[in-house]
Amino acid sequence: MSTPLIHIEHIARTYEMGGETVHALRDVSLDIHPNEYVALMGPSGSGKSTLMNILGCLDTPSSGVYTFKGLDVNEMTDDDLAEIRNKEIGFVFQTFNLLPRATALKNIELPLIYSGVSSEERKERAIKALEDVGLGDRMLHRPNELSGGQRQRVAAARALVTKPSIILADEPTGNLDTKTGIEIMKLFQDLWSKGNTVILVTHEEDIARHARRIIRIRDGKVESDTINPNPVTKFELP
Amino acid sequence: MNILESIIQALQSIRANTLRTVLTLLSISIGIFAIIGAGTAVNTLEGSFNSQLVAMGQNTFMIKRTSSIQIGNSWRKYRNRKDITYQQAKEFKYQMEGISLVSLHNETDGYTAKRGNFSTDPKVTLIGADENFFIVKNFVIETGRAFGLTEVTSSIPVVIIGNDLVVQLFNGENPLGQYITLKNQKFQVIGTLKTQGSMFGRSLDAQAVIPLTVFSRYHSDEWTSSIEITTKAYSKEQLAQAVDESIGVMRSLRNLKPWEDNTFEVETNESVSSQFASFSNYLQVFGLGSGLISLLAAGVGIMNIMLVSVKERTKEIGIRKAIGAKRSWILFQFIIEAITLCQLGGLIGIFFGVLAGQGLGSLISTEAAIPINWVIFSIVICTLMGLAFGSYPAWKAASLDPIEALRYE
Ligand SMILES: Nc1ncnc2c1ncn2[C@@H]1O[C@H](COP(=O)(O)OP(=O)(O)OP(=O)(O)O)[C@@H](O)[C@H]1O
Ligand SMILES: [Mg+2]
Repeated sequence: MSTPLIHIEHIARTYEMGGETVHALRDVSLDIHPNEYVALMGPSGSGKSTLMNILGCLDTPSSGVYTFKGLDVNEMTDDDLAEIRNKEIGFVFQTFNLLPRATALKNIELPLIYSGVSSEERKERAIKALEDVGLGDRMLHRPNELSGGQRQRVAAARALVTKPSIILADEPTGNLDTKTGIEIMKLFQDLWSKGNTVILVTHEEDIARHARRIIRIRDGKVESDTINPNPVTKFELP
Repeated sequence: MNILESIIQALQSIRANTLRTVLTLLSISIGIFAIIGAGTAVNTLEGSFNSQLVAMGQNTFMIKRTSSIQIGNSWRKYRNRKDITYQQAKEFKYQMEGISLVSLHNETDGYTAKRGNFSTDPKVTLIGADENFFIVKNFVIETGRAFGLTEVTSSIPVVIIGNDLVVQLFNGENPLGQYITLKNQKFQVIGTLKTQGSMFGRSLDAQAVIPLTVFSRYHSDEWTSSIEITTKAYSKEQLAQAVDESIGVMRSLRNLKPWEDNTFEVETNESVSSQFASFSNYLQVFGLGSGLISLLAAGVGIMNIMLVSVKERTKEIGIRKAIGAKRSWILFQFIIEAITLCQLGGLIGIFFGVLAGQGLGSLISTEAAIPINWVIFSIVICTLMGLAFGSYPAWKAASLDPIEALRYE
């Protein structure tokens, strides 16, 4: 097997809440290799988002080891983490997290601004990314002028425009109806088949069935980590 | 990031919080206005003043009871000074003969000159002068002639009038040889003065010059006021000596003991301009001081606006950080925003400051001088203010934890 893209060992994350310690993650160890397609499942409050945020370098573990592409994340400064988030990780949120005042195109250009891409190249790449998610005709729309599914596709385009090593999606279909959810899932399927690495969090077995590997979490621990023997590649409306 | 985007962002947040922002900008504007306004006033007055000095002549100096520019409570110093009497002045003139040319004069304001049905505005300055006055004071005769020593000593009621009187009383007629009335006394016009225009908003042509002896007799109630002595050295080289000489003569005339201070003022071009400089410094320091105080208040306002802006945009900051904005980007964005705010207020202040300066200029009918150095200073100050008061909010924004910021609703 190839060297892991992500390697975590005995990760824990605790929060102090009014003198009480909340154990969001207790002891999680995982390896994620390039071009894996992983679904992260588990009941509400089990620690899925906490884990995703750590994997996405938005948060750091209270203890344990996290290496990304062989680099020790615990050693990194805030700016190093920002750079990893910018160049290596494409994060898709349940609530889209688009800048409300900026157009779709501007939203997608933003990560490129932070990585210092020239304005012409930026625009070119942003247009391409928007066309890739099928929204070439919505470039100058602001988020509130787009449907939920379209917003999520803009968010996905923003995650992809920097050509990251891994796509992390925390319940990307959570705020969408089934039909638009399927559109987004098609997008991830597509990305994966083109060689991208994808981890997504979901509640729905229907959605998890598309992934090649399913990790179940309970009470901040990995409950099971299995290969999906027969992943679904077709998308049908129920 | 591109500065333009930050500036646009700043303007957007102004729109979002119009009232609060406008109030803060107002206090910046007032501060800058005070600085620029004082600067413009000083520059304008200086320009006007310097041209007056040039007109006064290089070799001339004056001896007066009090100084012409008085600052603070210097009046205390002058309160008990005795007038320079006509006798003293005449004696002074006599003793200075051969050393320099001396002219004595006295003047009062607010006269109305009349001729038949014509009368002037009550703004005529009546000057009682001796025969040297016209040469020493550079009063140029346009038509007719000046009066001489005999007319002064014999108290002949003759007058030389300025252009305002010519226009208002004679309506195109030749004034020479005609009579005008000043405070119930008839004077024969023997000459007219060359037009001088106006200075500090006052016409210099509303003047009537009569012999000092006539002045003393007819305006005896004003006669208590002190005689002004103007002395013209024969050359620039002799000026210093003439000044020393006159101080000596004047001291002995006023019976001063060696340890006593002068009870009169000697004003040369230089001493007047240094007095003026200290007056304009006073004005400038006052403008600067009050300006800086209001800027300090404005700074606190700017900081408050920026803190609110950071709070309101926590989510946005979280998004930016989540997709890879480094600390420096966020810092830069908010500092540029603060500077933009300050500059906007500053520009408004500069605009109105210059406008007020222009207003003052036209009031005293001189060209207003825009104080470029103070304009640059204001722009620098606004930039520094943005830096100083925007840094803390910007630092707060840059230090936000991405996850917590994203969660903020
Ligand atoms: N900032 C925080 N402060 C305190 N406790 C927190 C914080 N964030 C998460 N937790 C706690 O950590 C635990 C795991 O939360 P997490 O958001 O990872 O759950 P989840 O698996 O994503 O749940 P869901 O499916 O509802 O999104 C929860 O018990 C939660 O209350
Ligand atoms: Mg969650």
